[in-house]
Amino acid sequence: MFEWTEEQNMLREAVRKFVETEIAPNINELEHGDTPPYDTLRKMYKTFGMDAMARAGFEARIKREKEGPAATSERRSGGGDAGAGFMLIPIIELCRYCPGMVTAMGVSVGLAASAIMSKGTIAQKERWGVDLLTLDKIGSWAITEPGSGSDAFGSMKSTARRDGDEYVLNGSKTFITNGPYADTIVFICKLDEGNDPKDRKVLTFVLDSGMPGLEQSKPLRKMGLHSSPTGELFLSDVRVGRDRLLGETEEQPSREGAKETFSMERTGVAAMALGIVERCLQESVAYAKDRVQFGHPIGEFQLIQMKLAKMEVARLNIQNLVFRQIEMGAAGKGMSLAEASACKLYAAQACMEVALEAVQLFGGNGYMAEFGVEQLCRDAKVLQIYAGTDEIQISQIARSLLS
Amino acid sequence: MNVVVCVKQIPDPAQPGQLDPGSKTLKREGKLILDDSDAYGVEMALLLAEKAGGGEVTLVSMAPNGETSGLRTALAMGAAKAILVSDDSLAGTDALGTAKVLAAAIKRAEPDLIVAATESTDGYTGTLPVQVAEILGLPSVTFAKSVDVADGKVKVNRQTEAGYDEVECPLPALITVTAGVVEPRYPSFKGIMAARSKPVEQLTVADLGLSADQVGAAGARQEVVDVTAAEERKAGEVITDEGDAHERVVAFLDQLKLI
Repeated sequence: MFEWTEEQNMLREAVRKFVETEIAPNINELEHGDTPPYDTLRKMYKTFGMDAMARAGFEARIKREKEGPAATSERRSGGGDAGAGFMLIPIIELCRYCPGMVTAMGVSVGLAASAIMSKGTIAQKERWGVDLLTLDKIGSWAITEPGSGSDAFGSMKSTARRDGDEYVLNGSKTFITNGPYADTIVFICKLDEGNDPKDRKVLTFVLDSGMPGLEQSKPLRKMGLHSSPTGELFLSDVRVGRDRLLGETEEQPSREGAKETFSMERTGVAAMALGIVERCLQESVAYAKDRVQFGHPIGEFQLIQMKLAKMEVARLNIQNLVFRQIEMGAAGKGMSLAEASACKLYAAQACMEVALEAVQLFGGNGYMAEFGVEQLCRDAKVLQIYAGTDEIQISQIARSLLS
Repeated sequence: MNVVVCVKQIPDPAQPGQLDPGSKTLKREGKLILDDSDAYGVEMALLLAEKAGGGEVTLVSMAPNGETSGLRTALAMGAAKAILVSDDSLAGTDALGTAKVLAAAIKRAEPDLIVAATESTDGYTGTLPVQVAEILGLPSVTFAKSVDVADGKVKVNRQTEAGYDEVECPLPALITVTAGVVEPRYPSFKGIMAARSKPVEQLTVADLGLSADQVGAAGARQEVVDVTAAEERKAGEVITDEGDAHERVVAFLDQLKLI
């Protein structure tokens, strides 16, 4: 794949029109007002039939799983799929204006729902998975804690204690996307059997908003991604049955499950970066032609040309990473964690550089919110931090090379 | 109910258009897209077919080089199939020639209703739909701002300068719809995926039983004799208020017959 197909271009144009009609005119309210992003995201899902597709896909998958292992082991046909890459296109197009929307959507569908769909029992998938996949309900994936970020498992303090047939959960989580509004929370903690914390099993539970002992904070103030509500969760003796333990077994390899989720999370960042870079470049080219200084459009000055050329190089490289992901997906293959890390590291760094250069190219106007690149620049920074910091990606890549 | 929608595939208006110096008409060599004004007709046709509870929407188009990009967009919205007339001998065809070609293609679909835009976004002649109706011997109602079909009749609120007329005529008929008639839907993911496999019947002039001298530059009764660049917009007039600004603004608007 070296260019977008006719179908992909048609979808890109349609989603772009939706974003420019529904989101761009309301960007101030979404970024700085009290309007959560979910109704707009649901409208997008309904407009493009994404909710019906998610439901149909879910039903087909559950039917296969109920039929037994033989049916579930059938691989999807790879290659030549007209819909290849379709799920990445809304990410790219939303990020041209509002990366926060993608974060809110991605955490609910890509992390919370995926965790349940990959490790849950059929009953758990039917109970929580389908509503998350269709965006009827909003999900959070809660791993980070005040004292544990990059060292997510090593420093994790949240606990589950056995109490008869039930578990009692305690702990606090922070930087949780959708935390303030989530209906369904995937909560990762350690089983406290009185043993050394580093030897404890990692367990995952599914919680519902409003459960006794569960408190969801108001949105936290942050540098960017203002349209994506981020909050804290506090659990105080939250009592749950085994039906809420993901997979309904303590033998779930939750660390491995979380790592699979990390890999998927990281690959989504390249598509986000592409949307931000595309828009920064488009706005910068238009501004370079229009803005006149010293009697010339600034695009005639070599220092400005260098910025534009570097942005284009980044755009081409990131687009190629996205094309690779689409090709691999169509072939039924996924990236290794190290490759996903490499992909994310490059895309995030290149995106940040492009967004900073766009602000610089716009000069004083770039520093003003009105011209749009200021918001994209603030939003871009998070790509180097969430889903594993740049430093974690580097160590992951190096570990893979040296192992 | 079977509905035919006449759709035009035009050069992307977002790109600067170029004129062919010989024919003095728009160059149409590159990728063409669905004329935005036709999206309203496609939507109207889909709504009428859905309301009727049966039947399908067929697109009819004429374009060079077997171009189908614009048709795929309308197929992704939900049209069932398309008929595309593409033939080298069609180069230089005028509006009446186009109407002959489209009328011949429409006949094959045997529609109950034909829907067209009031005019295309690139040519703006606005003459084609009624020519098609005349050739087919069908009644036509133009400038529809709302459309309903019931009891074998099409009922139209027809936009006029003063308001609208309520018009009805028996089916089959041809209507032209304005941009305000309905809001075109977005193509869904599923619709886009399905569009590729929907049938597009490609026909030549001979397939339609027309002779080459009825169409193309040879059959054209219209000719573009000259093209001049549009006058550049003049800078506005600045009125400095010396106590009489309001009167001068009123006089200015009055002169433009805006008040």
